[in-house]
Amino acid sequence: MNKKYVSIFLVIAFMIFPLCVSAAKGVPKQDEVQLCLMCHQDKGLTKKLENMERLSLYIDGNQFMASVHRNVKCTGCHNDISMDSHPRVKTINSKKEYSAQMYRKCRICHTDQQLSKNPIHSQLMARASCAECHGSHYTKGVKAEKVAVQENIYCISCHRNQLVMSMKNGESLSLSVDQSMVGNSVHGKLKCTECHTGFSKTAHPVRSFNSKRDYAILTADTCRKCHEEASKQFETSVHLSVLKTGNLKAPTCTDCHGAHGVASTKKDRTVGLTSCNKCHADMKPSYDMSVHGMALAKGNAEAPSCSSCHNAHNIESTTMTTKIKDGCLKCHKDAAKAHNKWLKNPPVTLPTFSKAHFDVVSCAACHSPDAQRRIYLTLHNRKTDKPLSEEELAKLLDTDPGKVKDGLDTNKDGKVEGKDLWNMFALLFKKGTIALFKGTLDVSSSVESHMIAPKAEAVKDCTQCHLPNAKFFQNVFVAVKKSDGKPTLIPAEKDTVRSVFSIIPASKFYAIGGSSIELWDILFIVALIGGIAVPIGHITLRIVFSPIRSLRRMGKGGKK
Amino acid sequence: MTRLFLHPLPIRIWHWVNLAAFIVLILTGAQIKMGDRLNLFSFETAVDVHSWLGFVLIANYFIWLVYYLVTGNIKIYIPPLHRPLEFAKKALIQAKFYGFGIMVGDENPHHSTFYNKFNPMQQVSYLAIMVLLIPLQLITGLFLWDPNLFLPIVNLIGGIQIADTIHIFLWIFFSAFMIVHFYLATLGHTPMAHIIAMFKGYEELHEEHGPGHGEEHAHSEEHGHGH
Repeated sequence: MNKKYVSIFLVIAFMIFPLCVSAAKGVPKQDEVQLCLMCHQDKGLTKKLENMERLSLYIDGNQFMASVHRNVKCTGCHNDISMDSHPRVKTINSKKEYSAQMYRKCRICHTDQQLSKNPIHSQLMARASCAECHGSHYTKGVKAEKVAVQENIYCISCHRNQLVMSMKNGESLSLSVDQSMVGNSVHGKLKCTECHTGFSKTAHPVRSFNSKRDYAILTADTCRKCHEEASKQFETSVHLSVLKTGNLKAPTCTDCHGAHGVASTKKDRTVGLTSCNKCHADMKPSYDMSVHGMALAKGNAEAPSCSSCHNAHNIESTTMTTKIKDGCLKCHKDAAKAHNKWLKNPPVTLPTFSKAHFDVVSCAACHSPDAQRRIYLTLHNRKTDKPLSEEELAKLLDTDPGKVKDGLDTNKDGKVEGKDLWNMFALLFKKGTIALFKGTLDVSSSVESHMIAPKAEAVKDCTQCHLPNAKFFQNVFVAVKKSDGKPTLIPAEKDTVRSVFSIIPASKFYAIGGSSIELWDILFIVALIGGIAVPIGHITLRIVFSPIRSLRRMGKGGKK
Repeated sequence: MTRLFLHPLPIRIWHWVNLAAFIVLILTGAQIKMGDRLNLFSFETAVDVHSWLGFVLIANYFIWLVYYLVTGNIKIYIPPLHRPLEFAKKALIQAKFYGFGIMVGDENPHHSTFYNKFNPMQQVSYLAIMVLLIPLQLITGLFLWDPNLFLPIVNLIGGIQIADTIHIFLWIFFSAFMIVHFYLATLGHTPMAHIIAMFKGYEELHEEHGPGHGEEHAHSEEHGHGH
């Protein structure tokens, strides 16, 4: 029934409207507005657009009268309508299109010269319609707005729109900010200009960047202002090293934390997982299936995610350091004691004994039971105890960093041997650097290192390492640090650590059996044979000489 | 029959404990070192026994050390280095005896007494063994037992592999030495004379051949109280 009345009302209204308009010809502005509002103050007055959007035609008279345009007649902007005629509005495809069309109306009063005075405004005009920032019927005076409105609201008045910035390389960066996202973020109470320094309600410098990546990298400086410690830690990370090499995939602050929606990492422990997985997605299945991933999935608040072990900002390459273990020991505080229950070392097993194992063996090497194990001999400077990088080596050896690998494999058979370790040691010694090949036992891939199984499945068999030709000592690699912090891995012969030549170059790597020097076994057997040969030889000679002895004894007896 | 007292009780205890420990340590050491070639014990048993006996050997070393230091009789190990030429000459004569004289029935140039137990060759070798080689074997053994406990010292000598190399070389040396040592112990006036003396403490001498006379008993002491 209501619909029926509305339809009748509209038909009558359209019939009467021209008469009203005609009658109102030459009426003062105030009356014109009132006349328009007769229909347009109906909140239900909408127009269905071609794309099925509904455009509201409702005008709040009071708000309009409070706007900066209160002294402008409706027909001042809507100049295709007059008091005489209200033609049916032509076809409008979308709100956006309509908004863009209305931009022309603004220019009736606001000249191009005036609008382009501020270069940012000029840029914005190319991207957004006037109404998107200033609104339409309730526009406030910009100057008054700047004073009255809170800074964040002032900024968002433009940035809530689909603004984009073009980069020199042609990329487009969205400048649109979701106000609710900022509000819910850990930075919700900050002013925009606390991060976006140089900007204010009165200043909006024009900036240009080569690429979105460049912009993200520069943003890190903004974060540093407050997060000094994290930034300092980041400087030692493998991520920054990789970034410095020009790898644009290496993350900076916003890649992990996001920009406006920064969540509290203390409250939301999945932040790390989500952001790390952006690049390290190949780790996810193994982590999810691990005892840690399953605990997290069950809602265990103590279950570790990526940063629990790897740290958040000072992440290092796990092949070049044993620091990853500190991550494990953060939670497994009694690990040394627990290991000493079965790592027996009579007569008394001291904490140092389990530590000797921890220093060399990665946790995953035993706790990821299905993994393939590797021995890594990482080249270090013995004096500084720091890895000798490919660049440092290249400088010492007067060669290119890329050729260091060849320099290590002196006989060019594709595999490093004990003799090669010695040759490199001797060569560097001549150059005044004492090298050390530090040995560690680890799993063969980072995927395997995440496959931590329940405790009961961990390897507890000493002979996996402590026999000559032990299973875990079959794959040996020499690792040299690259400038990006990651290692160059050079395959080595499995007997490298059992070679007499590696005793001095790898003098701190020792495992009963595993690093047992083969040559000494032969020497032992030779010594035993020698030991037995002495009495045999001596007895033989005594037998040979026994007639002489008998004769002399008889001689003595004769005298007697 | 006269009896020549040579080996006091603490030294006899020390000697036989040393012998037993050495044999087992050499064998368990071989098992640990050459687990791929030998199958005398399981790895765990070999390590357990080796570690326990290592400490027994350390304690035993102190029986020897304390006894000889307290009695002052350590001097039997010290060669008369203030008379180097005379000492070298005596050592050469002793070597000639073992290399040739013994074959043709010469008299042993050295006559043992309680206060002059060792011939010049024994003096030098036993001094090196007791003061240098055994302590070195015990210390490097301790390093290998718990490398991190002694980390600063281990690093000072260049690393644990260096300690291991020393330990292994001494294992090889002692293995060969013990065979020769046993053979020399059978060169008394009877093959068992020195060995029995190491149990009883004294060596029985024939009355008609006082010390320093008969060819057999004259050199009867020089090996038996060895180590």
